[in-house]
Amino acid sequence: MIETIAASRCPVCMATVAPPARFCPWHPVAMEPATVEGIGEVVSFTTLYATPEGFRSPLHIAIVELGGGARFVCHGAATRGIRVGSTVAIEAVDDIYYFAHLGALDRARLFWRRAGYAGDRVNAIARSLAKRVMKGRGRAAS
Amino acid sequence: MVNVFVAGVGMTRIGRRAEPLSDLMAEAAHAALADARCERPDSVVVAAMNPEEFLGDGNFASHVATAMGLSDVPALRVETATSSGAAAFYAGFLEIAAGVHDTVLVVGGEKMTHLATPKVSELIGRSIDPYERAYGATMPALAGLVTRAVLARGGMGIREMAQVAVKNHANGARNPYAHFRAPVTLEDVLESRMVADPLRLLHCCPISDGAAALVLTRARAAVRVAGLGQGTDTLALRHRRDLTSFVATRAAARAAFAMAGFGPERVGVAELHDAFAPFELISLEDAGLVEPGKAGRVTLDGDTALDGRLPVNPSGGLKARGHPLAATGLAQLVECAWQLTGRATGRQVDARVALAQSIGGLATNNWVILLEAA
Repeated sequence: MIETIAASRCPVCMATVAPPARFCPWHPVAMEPATVEGIGEVVSFTTLYATPEGFRSPLHIAIVELGGGARFVCHGAATRGIRVGSTVAIEAVDDIYYFAHLGALDRARLFWRRAGYAGDRVNAIARSLAKRVMKGRGRAAS
Repeated sequence: MVNVFVAGVGMTRIGRRAEPLSDLMAEAAHAALADARCERPDSVVVAAMNPEEFLGDGNFASHVATAMGLSDVPALRVETATSSGAAAFYAGFLEIAAGVHDTVLVVGGEKMTHLATPKVSELIGRSIDPYERAYGATMPALAGLVTRAVLARGGMGIREMAQVAVKNHANGARNPYAHFRAPVTLEDVLESRMVADPLRLLHCCPISDGAAALVLTRARAAVRVAGLGQGTDTLALRHRRDLTSFVATRAAARAAFAMAGFGPERVGVAELHDAFAPFELISLEDAGLVEPGKAGRVTLDGDTALDGRLPVNPSGGLKARGHPLAATGLAQLVECAWQLTGRATGRQVDARVALAQSIGGLATNNWVILLEAA
């Protein structure tokens, strides 16, 4: 599931920031509420070994660019395979956001969603195919 | 605008010091006043980043002025995170340029080594955007994010970054005021333990105690303030468009060179804010001292070494000279003044114009100051 992330947009320059800010960082005007999809490209990432109190080491932190240019800070379970420019999904667990490689089904869903409503049908077909494969495997095992 | 001169300078040895901060600041201040042959300044400007939490002492301008025997001299404290020293210099400069005072003592210092490193990191972390801090970001973590972005962009590699640390330690070995006097090798740097991938321990400046001071005057003296400029940027790293360059330095440099009426080609020596080794490379380009994309090459070629065409951080920089937070911006200027007046014994370079660049927080509030031999 691609999450919806709360953000805010500046009426003057259209800059989008996440999480929402009261005033635009660049204009002394109130920002309007907006949302962005929880999927984007890794701008940068690091693994911190000297962690502050309350955080376990090593700590993986990334900046991910979401829709509208909103950049978001999040944790990750690992950085293996992550590069600057990797596409990742963001999800919240107990109000803390994590980045993760997109699952195969999520990627397919996203591709077809961008392709249009036809995607939903293909999605449903793909899912039922997958279910049949899983049932088949189960039968073979027993 | 009125010309402002640097009439005297002084600093303490940087390192682990037993004395209280006010003693260290008095030592630097008295040395600068003696150097300027000035008994009593018209005003004192104090820089200290966080004495409230490092020491439990507030009202710090008054605290310091009284401790050094200047309790009836007007005193002001200025703070812009780690560039507080440079900001204090700016305030002193303005007092003279505006005609309010004729002689101003600017003194900055920090005492940090008495606290455990995680605590120090936490106090330095007060400068970071609260949301990013809530995700465990420390200054090294943010620097790690910047460094990885720079590596991905290309033009500055891990070797170039390590070479900055090697060069600055070699310079520190020649500086009796420096925190670290021993050279390090490229292998030492590349094998030191990882702090915030890809930054290793020897890419990062130390925690230090110390103080530095300058006396600014309206009356003509050996060194003139040719120009100064300030640049600012968003507190949050995630609000930046480009992680590989510091907009705050570029704006500060533009303003400083505009005031000076000349360009970066006139600069003969520079003190750049290498809190993390890659920041020296980024700052070389941001300050206009080398062309974009060339900082790595120039460093590997030895252009920025003591015997190169543009010596950078002859003092050892933050890496080897040390980084007592609010002292640093002033320590850079003390080194520049010594270089311009032939008093940088053991590490003397030939220059008529010096550039000092100071970074506040993660480049949220930066300064570029140009000094010229008068």
